[in-house]
Amino acid sequence: MKTLRRIALYGALTIAALTFIYPFLWMASATFKPLAEVGTIALFPEHATFDNYRTMWARAPFGRALLNSMFVAGTITLSVLVFGSITAYAMARLRFRGRPVLNAATMGVLLIPGQLTLIPLYTLIVQLGLVDTYAALILPYLFNATAILMMRQFFMQIPQSLIDSARMDGMGEMRILFTIFWPLSRPVLSIVAIFTFMGSWNEVLWPLLVVREQHLMTLPQLLTVFSLGGGAGSIGVSLASAMVLVVPVVIAYAFLQRNFIESMAGSGVKG
Amino acid sequence: MPSVHFEHVTKRFGATTVVEDFNLDVDEGELLVLVGGSGSGKTTILRMLAGLEEVTEGTIRIDQHDVTNLPPRDRDVAMVFQDYGLYPHMTVRENLSLGLRLRKVARTEIERRVAWAADMLRLEPLLDRKPKQLSGGQQQRVAMGRAMVREPLVFLFDEPLSNLDAGLRAQMRIEIGGLQRRLKTTTVYVTHDQVEAMTLGDRIVVLADGRIQQVGKPIDLYRTPVNRFVAGFVGTPPMNFVDGLITGDDGGVVFKAEGVHCALIPERTPQTMPSGPVTLGIRPEDMEVDVADTLIDTSPRDGLQGRVVLVERLGGTSHIHFDAGPNRLLAAVTNERLPEVGDAINVRLNRERAHLFVEDRRV
Repeated sequence: MKTLRRIALYGALTIAALTFIYPFLWMASATFKPLAEVGTIALFPEHATFDNYRTMWARAPFGRALLNSMFVAGTITLSVLVFGSITAYAMARLRFRGRPVLNAATMGVLLIPGQLTLIPLYTLIVQLGLVDTYAALILPYLFNATAILMMRQFFMQIPQSLIDSARMDGMGEMRILFTIFWPLSRPVLSIVAIFTFMGSWNEVLWPLLVVREQHLMTLPQLLTVFSLGGGAGSIGVSLASAMVLVVPVVIAYAFLQRNFIESMAGSGVKG
Repeated sequence: MPSVHFEHVTKRFGATTVVEDFNLDVDEGELLVLVGGSGSGKTTILRMLAGLEEVTEGTIRIDQHDVTNLPPRDRDVAMVFQDYGLYPHMTVRENLSLGLRLRKVARTEIERRVAWAADMLRLEPLLDRKPKQLSGGQQQRVAMGRAMVREPLVFLFDEPLSNLDAGLRAQMRIEIGGLQRRLKTTTVYVTHDQVEAMTLGDRIVVLADGRIQQVGKPIDLYRTPVNRFVAGFVGTPPMNFVDGLITGDDGGVVFKAEGVHCALIPERTPQTMPSGPVTLGIRPEDMEVDVADTLIDTSPRDGLQGRVVLVERLGGTSHIHFDAGPNRLLAAVTNERLPEVGDAINVRLNRERAHLFVEDRRV
C-alpha cells in the first residue's frame, strides 16, 4: 500500500517535472537537428549535426557578444553586491542623520516602474556622450534598490554583539562588512547575485536603445537583432543562438542553487 | 593608582537621560561589579568604557589617558559579551587570534598567547571547532580566552553568565573570579544578579535610573545600605520592609505598626528622630520564629505576630512567609520544628540588625 502510494506520488511528480523540462530538452535537441527534422517532437535527432551552431557563429559575432554579456552582467553583479551591501550595512547597522529618509527613498525607488525612467535615462546617456559604450550598458544598473533592501533585511538579523566584538578586535566598518557579514550572508548574497546576473543577462530593451555597434552588443541583443532581422534564416539556427544565451544562466544556477533554495525556503530561520 | 576614571559622565539618547553625572574610580587590579535592574544604565556605562557608545558629557580615563573620544580598538580594553559574540564562521583558534592578527602581533607571539589561554581555560581540544559545535559553557570560555589573549589593561564583562543554566553559572562564576585574581587585570563586570555581584566583586556599585546608589564592599552594602533601594536589592531573600511610626513611649524609642511593636536600641537611634512616618527594614535571617499558642495579638508588646501563609523547606534554611497586619513578610530560619500554614507565630527581631528608613534614606 505504502509502495503503491509512493509510486503514484513519484509518477505525478515525474509528469509535472516533464512538462517543465521537456520543452527545454526539445529545444536543446532541436539545435542538433537538420532542418527537415526540426518539426518533429522526437527528443533524439536521427541525423545529429552541428550545422545550426556553425551557421549561427558564421553569420554574427556571437563569441564577442557572449564575452560582452559576461563582462556587463559580471560587472553589474559585482557592483550590486559590493556597493549594495555597503549601503545595506549602513542602513541596517549604523546610526546617522537622515537614515529614515534614505530608507524611505530606497523603498520609494521600488514603486517607480522601469519603463517610466527609460526615456529620461536614455536622454541622460545621450547627453553624457556614452552611447555605444560599455558604460551605457553598465552605469544605470550599478545600484539596485531591491538588492539593498534584501541585504538590509538580512543584515538586521545579525547579532549586534558580533559587530561589537569585531570593533573591540580592532576592525573598521568595511572590514566588519567583508570579513564578518559577507561570510554569514551567503544565502542572501547568492540570491541577489543570481537575480542580478539573470536580470542583466536577459536584458534586451536597454542595450537595444544605447548600443548600435555590433561589437558592443550583448548576447540577447544580438540574438534579437539576428533573429528578428532574418539573419538566422531557419528555426534551428534561432534555437541554437537561444541555447547559447540560456546555458550560462543554467550553469550559474546549478552552482548557486543550494544557497538559492536555502534562502527561498528558510529565510529568517537560523539553523 | 586607579586605572579607570569616570568623571561627570552623562549619556543621553535623544531626550532620555540614561546615565547622569556618573563619577567612579576603578582601582588597578580590582574587580568592580556594576549591578542594577534593567534600565539602570549599567550596560551603557560599560559600553561607554569600551568605546561602543558615545559619551554625551564628561570624561573617561584609562591609565591616565583620556579615551573619551577614542574608538574601541585604541583603548586597550577587551570585552566578554552576554551572547559571547563569537564569529560563527571561524574556528575557536581563529576567534582567539583575530584581534591579535589585526593588531599585527607577531605570529609566534600569537601562537604563544593562544596556547596560554587555551591551556588556562582548557580549550586545547576545541581549538579547531566552530562555535556552533561547542556547549554554552565552552563558548563562554572561548569568549573569555579572546579577551585574555589581548592582554588588555581592562577586562569588561557584560552579563557573561546570564545565558547559562544555574549549575554552570555557579561554576563559571568561580572560574571568572579565580582567573581575575590570577591575572590581576582591572575588571569591570556588569550583572543584574546581586548574588553574582556579592560573590565576585571586590567592590560593588549599585545603580538605579542611571545614578549610583551606593559604592562599597559587598558586606558593607549588606550591613549598611544607604537607602531602601540598596537594602532591598542586596541580599536574598530580600529585606522585609514595614511602614510605621516612631513613638517615644515606655521610656525608649519604639517602632509601631499594625501587628508590629519593636523597641529600638536608643544609642543606634539618631537624637533628632523625625516623628513622621518611617520604614523598618529587617532581613529574613534577622528574625526568630516561635509557634504561638495564643490567638493573634494585634498589638504585641515586643516583636511581631503573624499568621503563616507559606513554608518553603529548603533543607538547611527554611523560608516562612507570614502576614503581620497588612504586611507580607518573610523569615529565614533554621528551626528544627517549623510552623504549619495557618499557624500563629511570634517573631522576635534582632534589634542590632534592624534598619530605619525615612523617605527612603537610611537613618
